Amino acid sequence: MALLLVAAFAGLGFRLVDLQVVRHDDLSREAAGRRESTIIHPSRRGDILDARGNVLATSLFVKTVCADPSLLGTNQTVVARALAPQLKMNEAELAEKLRVHAWKDQRGKERVDRYVILKRKVSLEDWEKIRAAMKSLSFGVDEKKLSRRDRAFYLNLRQRAIYTEPVDDQLRIYPAGTLAAHVLGFTAATDKLVEGHAVTELVGKDGIEAAFNSALNGVTGWRQTEKDVGSQELVLFREEDIASRPGLNVALTLDASVQDMVESELAKGMERNAPVSISGIVVRPSTGAILAMATLPNYDPNQIGSKTPIANLRNRVITDTFEPGSTFKAVVVSAALNEQAVSLNEILYCENGVFSFGGYTLHDAGHHFGNLSVEDIVAKSSNIGAAKVGIKLGEVRLHKYVRDFGFGDPTGITLPGEARGTVHPVRSWYKVSIAQISMGQGLTVTPLQMAMAVSAIANYGRLMRPMLVDHLEDEHKQEVFKYQPQAVRQVISEETVKLMVQAMKRVVLPGGTAPQAALEHYTVAGKTGTGQKPPYGSRKYFSSFIGFFPADSPEICIAVFLDEPDPKRYYGGETAGPIFKAIAERVAAYLAIRPDIQAPSDQPLQKPSSNPPEVIAQTGLPSTLTTSRTGRNF
Amino acid sequence: MARNRKNQSAAVRFGPALKALLICLFIGGSGVGYVWQQNQLLELGRQKAEKEKRLNLLRVQNSQLGRHLAELQSPKSLETRLKELNLGLSMAQPTQIVRLVDAPLTPAAKRILSMHPAERQYAERRTAALPAP
Repeated sequence: MALLLVAAFAGLGFRLVDLQVVRHDDLSREAAGRRESTIIHPSRRGDILDARGNVLATSLFVKTVCADPSLLGTNQTVVARALAPQLKMNEAELAEKLRVHAWKDQRGKERVDRYVILKRKVSLEDWEKIRAAMKSLSFGVDEKKLSRRDRAFYLNLRQRAIYTEPVDDQLRIYPAGTLAAHVLGFTAATDKLVEGHAVTELVGKDGIEAAFNSALNGVTGWRQTEKDVGSQELVLFREEDIASRPGLNVALTLDASVQDMVESELAKGMERNAPVSISGIVVRPSTGAILAMATLPNYDPNQIGSKTPIANLRNRVITDTFEPGSTFKAVVVSAALNEQAVSLNEILYCENGVFSFGGYTLHDAGHHFGNLSVEDIVAKSSNIGAAKVGIKLGEVRLHKYVRDFGFGDPTGITLPGEARGTVHPVRSWYKVSIAQISMGQGLTVTPLQMAMAVSAIANYGRLMRPMLVDHLEDEHKQEVFKYQPQAVRQVISEETVKLMVQAMKRVVLPGGTAPQAALEHYTVAGKTGTGQKPPYGSRKYFSSFIGFFPADSPEICIAVFLDEPDPKRYYGGETAGPIFKAIAERVAAYLAIRPDIQAPSDQPLQKPSSNPPEVIAQTGLPSTLTTSRTGRNF
Repeated sequence: MARNRKNQSAAVRFGPALKALLICLFIGGSGVGYVWQQNQLLELGRQKAEKEKRLNLLRVQNSQLGRHLAELQSPKSLETRLKELNLGLSMAQPTQIVRLVDAPLTPAAKRILSMHPAERQYAERRTAALPAP
């Protein structure tokens, strides 16, 4: 008896030593693994807002719904019937996913899949419905009469068979659909490790989403805690609880309403002129703030995928370069006036439309101009006249001004993928280059560079850096960082600007190249462009019109570009001009820009009518500030 | 003397029993108190977790409503709604906009505006016309 007792105690002692000493580390690790838990707090990606606080991009937390088919027994059909409507899936397809799939591991042991993803990006509302459906699931048996084991099976099925990934995913939503798609860009999901856990994070792949990815992405938080046998958290045993920091909101200078106006007018222009693509930019010359930037065809960032043509993803305003054609004459004439190489009234002989220079013959498209003043050269867009102005200015000075207007360098807009264009150094020029460049050939520019150069003329000669982001703010709408307008350089003098504006005003008058771009209530200064696309003679053109108004105190500069319009009608004045006009009329009314022309159709207000006029207090502030932040005009 | 001894011994026996009882009560009370406290902590923890869940749910609902609001405020949605309602709204023409030009402030008015609100009230009272008798 004593011997037995000793043996029993010895056995217990051995077991005790085995558990508490020999296997202590392994067992305590296993116990900790079952008890301890790390909960990841994903950070919410910040919103992208327009200038009036309207949300252009936002994020929603969503679930990835998974299943453990090993807990379903033979109830796949019942579960599939209950969940198919919530998951918006076909019942048969869902039942197939819920079927147990067995496989053999490396040791030849049979295993079953206990992790099957049923659907990603399920909203929290739908997940609550799924949970409710699982709770109220009926299997057609009286469970009270079942054995304890069977009851536990059904309990497990309801509570554990359908579950979600522990960390919520995010769904990026663009509430306005295709609006400003090229500016906003899009995101893609990537995995990263946080505290040893894989977390899916959104990463910007284009546009503002990519350029401001680090600001938009917050910091992921985590919580180290313990859970009970029912996997419920024991709050008492929380050790670390680091809250996540949501990403910052990016507030753009872009105005969603202006953007919509531009996009809808470009769409009409696309229908009329059937170009390969059409682009438009609205800039405030005094600050360089971009109110709208659009390119068609575009895409819906909500449905980005393999079906979206790659060409549609390109923001052609900054990525594509082209020979600007006659819009570039504004740059050449400005430079020549600034250097006093010519005067506005100086008469130049335009060779009756045919000019031999540097071994080449230059033509004036469809015209045989004789003597023209420099002002007329701008108004009528004479190639030979512009070439002669360029020749008078000289290669070195022309090159200097081309660079000073920002060509050959990226504008510095806060968007990825900006092209710099091509401006060859003077040493690489041929003899004819000076004449070609003066006509807008022999160099390439982006639409944005061209728009910013004309904006510099509108801004009394000062070139501004294009500004697309106004400020960054936190989740409580508190401003964190404010971007200020940045002047790049003073390119031409104010006196030169006055002369240039005088010449550019004539472009939209009868006898100019774009009378279709004239506005009823505002004087417009602008320049048309119709550049041939290489190979020359292929009847492929790049047509454009860039203008600003009111001409003498410009508030808005609008640029419209058509890539390969219908060759039956391709001149900038007749294709881009009317689009400019349509955009300008709507934008001017929306921003309540003060007219500088009393139009004949205007009737002075006699008495308040049934539709009272809108009253806006003019306080000397820029016109955009006269409307309320959230107010809208229709 | 013997009675006193007897009385003393009775008192001595009662004292330890009382002490033992008090100690037992203290230990028992401490145990019950500890269990109650732990229970309370767990209960508060549970309530905290529930409230955190509720807060998260409200945040999610808030962001969903925000998204819905953003969709409703998008220019396309507003245009569609305007067409549906057929209210005949159109963009204000430049002639329909009346601009009021503020007169430049006089030096006295500028001085009053820069004052503390209480001082401004006092100054306004002093400069105001007397009430009619």
